[in-house]
Amino acid sequence: MRIGLACPYTWDVPGGVQAHVRDLAETLLDAGHEVSVITPVDDESTLPAYAVDAGRAVPVPYNGSVARLLMGPVSAARVRRWLREHDFDVLHAHEPTAPSVSLLACMLADGPLVATFHTANPRSRILTAGHRALRPSLEKLRARIAVSEAARRTLVEHLGTGAILIPNGVAVRAFEGARPLPGYGTAPTVAFLGRIDEPRKGLDVLMAAFPRLVEKVPDVRLLVAGPGDTEAVRSRIDPALLGRVDLVGLVPEADKAAVFASGSVYCAPNTGQESFGIVLLEAMAAGTPVVASDIDAFRRVLDNGRAGRLFGVGEPAELAANLAELIEDPAERARLAERGRAVVARYDWRVIAQSIVGVYEMVSGDRPVSVAAPEES
Amino acid sequence: MTVVVVVVVAVVVIATYLTWLASRLDRLAGRVDAARAGLVVQLMARADAAHELARRRDLAELADMAERARAGHAALLAGAGLGTTAEDAENALSRALRAPAVVAVGQRAPEEVRAVDSAAARVALARQFHNDAVGDVRSLAGRRLVRVLHLSGRRPLPAYFEIDDALPAWEEDPPPRSDDPAGIPGA
Repeated sequence: MRIGLACPYTWDVPGGVQAHVRDLAETLLDAGHEVSVITPVDDESTLPAYAVDAGRAVPVPYNGSVARLLMGPVSAARVRRWLREHDFDVLHAHEPTAPSVSLLACMLADGPLVATFHTANPRSRILTAGHRALRPSLEKLRARIAVSEAARRTLVEHLGTGAILIPNGVAVRAFEGARPLPGYGTAPTVAFLGRIDEPRKGLDVLMAAFPRLVEKVPDVRLLVAGPGDTEAVRSRIDPALLGRVDLVGLVPEADKAAVFASGSVYCAPNTGQESFGIVLLEAMAAGTPVVASDIDAFRRVLDNGRAGRLFGVGEPAELAANLAELIEDPAERARLAERGRAVVARYDWRVIAQSIVGVYEMVSGDRPVSVAAPEES
Repeated sequence: MTVVVVVVVAVVVIATYLTWLASRLDRLAGRVDAARAGLVVQLMARADAAHELARRRDLAELADMAERARAGHAALLAGAGLGTTAEDAENALSRALRAPAVVAVGQRAPEEVRAVDSAAARVALARQFHNDAVGDVRSLAGRRLVRVLHLSGRRPLPAYFEIDDALPAWEEDPPPRSDDPAGIPGA
């Protein structure tokens, strides 16, 4: 099939939606489909051959993080040209409620349109204020996909429309059989990966748990990977413990698997607002057992605690106890890793992409995607 | 003179807005038609899969329900509405697929069971797409301006298609779903 994917967020800034679009595009290409992605990008040289530049996006604070958005005549012209140049069988817009390329694509296109909704945000101001303005574009969508139950609920509550559930995929092949980073793999290690200065990623909870963990497991180490101000984090650590904490900063995508493999346990202490636990699945694909906050999305991914340990959100004592127990019980770690792999198999991108293609097939075929008549744009 | 200009501008603005509303309604009607056609295709596929399972495993009642559903599909293809008659026939097929005799087939007919499962999953998706489209039409057509000015023209308001399309729960191990394009993991 000829498939057009619209990504609303800047391609060369790390983010879940961008990663989803990239993995989906590459899996679809591997399966023999023709795929073109349109996306905002800062440095055009970072774009792969299958992607098209929609312009530079403007950073705007939104929903506790920084969203980078793009709307305007130049990008609209680029989206229109992209639609004209490719005779897509289906157009798949990601997060079309964000004022960016995906919304533009929905406004400008007509025909077999599909959208995936990623955000779970019960109090989204954009959705509350903007749903009337969004309606004309969103009512063109023949199929709506939510990546999580929470994302679906957000959609139902704000836009009064249903959606089918197809979760995020995991590039299982990239994580299987990963080797630890140099210097790791011997001492017990807790691994963390995520933006270190974003409170909802929960690094503070793990930092508060760490001294208690050291009391129970004296030789434990902590590996913290992810972008953010490492000096600020370092300055808050007890100097006596500094030697056991490695703040490695942003790791290249290719090294993520090694970060997971370096941990005896992977810790996800997020404090809420996670739509989906993709990072948990990646750790599980690398064969590392997971200890995660008991939030909705994580509970689902961890099969209610059967495929990984859950602890009370923002409870350092409980987290420390769980980490210590797991580190000292290799048999339990192996059991969790085994169940983790079984869970991950269902989220393999190759499987997920097949489900998505199934949706494409159901809603397309009668006509290709066209540019809507001018008075409708 | 100014008054004339203001009136002309106002008329143009209002006419543009109404044309735009009417074009949205047109496009939505097209989406409902496409979704309805897609749903009928999936209902037919499910009845075929159920019939095949019934034939291979000598399940008389399932065969009967699949036949009845198929008989209704001819009318649907000819343009009959997806009304209560269709709903009843499809519900009967859903129930027949969950009958103890059918459920017990489980592992003995993995191919056929997988085909039924996949078709039933697609029916559920197609129904969601259809009902979402119907919901969008009804919400726009329900606006006072649209009703007062009859912007929907003579198109009747489309109806939701409500059936029980819960997937059959097979006894013993369910067939693996990983290679099934319509099976939604985690759903």
